[in-house]
Amino acid sequence: MSALARLFRSLTFRLALIYLLLFSLSVAALLGVAWWMTVERPLEDVRAAVLREADTLGDIYIVDGPTALEAALVRRDATVSERKAFHAFTAPDGRSVANLPSWPAQAAGGWARFEADLYRDGDEEDHEALVHERTFRDGARLIVGRDIEDIDEREEVIEQLVLWGGVAVLILGLAGGGVMSLAVGRRIEAVNATARRVIAGDLSGRVPTRGSGDDFDRLGDTLNLMLARIEALVEAVGRVSDSVAHELRTPLARLQADLGELAAASEPAERTRLVEAAAAEAARLQATFDALLRIARLETGRHAIERRPVDLAKLLRDAAELYAPEAEDQHKRLDVAIDAPLTTQGDPNLLFQAVANLIDNALKHTPPGSRIRLSGRQLDGALVEVADDGPGIAAEHRARVVERFYRVPGSERRPGLGLGLSVVDAVARAHGARLELADDAPGLSVRLHLPPAP
Amino acid sequence: MRLLLVEDDARVGGHVAKGLREAGHLVEHVDDGREGLYRVAGERYDVVILDRMLPNVDGLKILQTMRAAGDTTPVLILSALGEVDERVKGLTSGADDYLAKPFAASELLARIEALGRRGPLQAEQTRLTLGDLEIDLLGREIRRGGRRIDLTDREFRILEHLVRNAGRVVTRSMLLESVWDYQFDPQTNIVDQHVSRLRQKIDRDFDVPLIHTVRGVGYVARAA
Repeated sequence: MSALARLFRSLTFRLALIYLLLFSLSVAALLGVAWWMTVERPLEDVRAAVLREADTLGDIYIVDGPTALEAALVRRDATVSERKAFHAFTAPDGRSVANLPSWPAQAAGGWARFEADLYRDGDEEDHEALVHERTFRDGARLIVGRDIEDIDEREEVIEQLVLWGGVAVLILGLAGGGVMSLAVGRRIEAVNATARRVIAGDLSGRVPTRGSGDDFDRLGDTLNLMLARIEALVEAVGRVSDSVAHELRTPLARLQADLGELAAASEPAERTRLVEAAAAEAARLQATFDALLRIARLETGRHAIERRPVDLAKLLRDAAELYAPEAEDQHKRLDVAIDAPLTTQGDPNLLFQAVANLIDNALKHTPPGSRIRLSGRQLDGALVEVADDGPGIAAEHRARVVERFYRVPGSERRPGLGLGLSVVDAVARAHGARLELADDAPGLSVRLHLPPAP
Repeated sequence: MRLLLVEDDARVGGHVAKGLREAGHLVEHVDDGREGLYRVAGERYDVVILDRMLPNVDGLKILQTMRAAGDTTPVLILSALGEVDERVKGLTSGADDYLAKPFAASELLARIEALGRRGPLQAEQTRLTLGDLEIDLLGREIRRGGRRIDLTDREFRILEHLVRNAGRVVTRSMLLESVWDYQFDPQTNIVDQHVSRLRQKIDRDFDVPLIHTVRGVGYVARAA
């Protein structure tokens, strides 16, 4: 596509042309009105006046003869008027009386316009005569007219305006359209180039902005935010895939090893132990898989969550009751403080899962003798908190513990899949809730801020 | 029991059919949805086991056809779609139980036996007994050998469920589903601790234990 063809296809250029056309039309309309008011209407008035005079003078000639007409013409010439009176009378014998410097030699009849410049004391006076010519039956010609120099000048001005204005508008319009389309085209091309870079796989591509805050900057900022989010998501997906591969391979490898040993083992007790170990690994694989699927479905919104009123006080009490024996076995205190009533909106199964995971985590990561507090408070929305006085999580790890399979260094050997908080986070997001981990000095406080019902 | 198994995966189907036959059941195994539809229309079974995704006719469709025709045969849905909402969809379509793949053969067997022997609902029943254990459902009181035993509400519900299914294996997930009010996945064997507490209160002071562990599967309540 040639540069010219591209220019004509450019939307900005076309818009500039359309604008130019509309602008020209409005100017033309304006000039038309001006022409009609300053040229056409005064000219009409002059024509009417001239016609009246021509009729009167013609009548004088027919009724009173040439001498009377000549006297009338002289009188008319002498009368001071806004518009200089012109006349030329040619008698049938060829003798003529005129104050017009020249007039057409051939009788034409009707209206005519011509220059009628006069020389007086060496100065030239510009005149334009609008005349009406009448030829009498005896061959006499009477030309009667008035000066319309002022109207003629105005007409010329308007003609010049149309001519030069038209040329200027055309040049400026085309050039302006071209420049505009180039400028806009360059900004758009910058967005295009970034998009092509991202399509080619370079997710770090960003739309350049000028910092002027104009429309393109705003578009660029929005696109850049989107690209940053996509980049972060893709990075997270990449990290997750790596962890998934690792977390699934490990139990698979153990399973394989158990089955290999099983093939060689002959001792019945040994065989039973190996079968149970293999079954445990398979169960772990299944649990990991289920949790990953649940998170993925919550995150992609495929799990369109049910929103119904939930008796959160009962839900928390049920969760505490579920874990009471476990806490007792581990010699830990599980204290409960719940506002009544305490309600929220959401999916009770998912919320129960989230609270269960939080209590389970607290039990897993605290030493015997620890105290765990489960509290539910009705604020603006509902606040669920699971706090413990265990070792807590160092600030630098707190933000990352919701990542799938992330384990705080030193906790790798504790039981669990490394997905508990990821599930809680996914449930929180699906409910529009905020998950917050804080230092409880000592210990860890995990808070789930559930938004108020809409 | 006479069972119909509609499952298109040859290995899973063969494995399940074999396990059920070994447990003494009469199993008809078909691998096509339309064939399954003909069978449930023409024959009577004690329990029907349906896979969700089948060639020709979907398992849910068979279930809906059965229920629309007034057939109340207990139906258990087997499905690789294990999510909670899929499960709810199956149960609201008229299924009596739902089991996600993969599953242990013992889990399926326990659930089928619970379904097949489930008599007509005894709504007016106010007392359950097992050996020298009595459960007063109205007064929510437990007595063993005439002695009153105090249980928490949850322990009461676990015991009630076990006794109602006396003689049949109740798996951990079956207990979780029927005794707790939430569909969720406990990360640890939390059910065991509750049963173990219940057992201490029920069996500790008596010579004959009523609650027995079935290794790797679950629990069974038995008087002797």
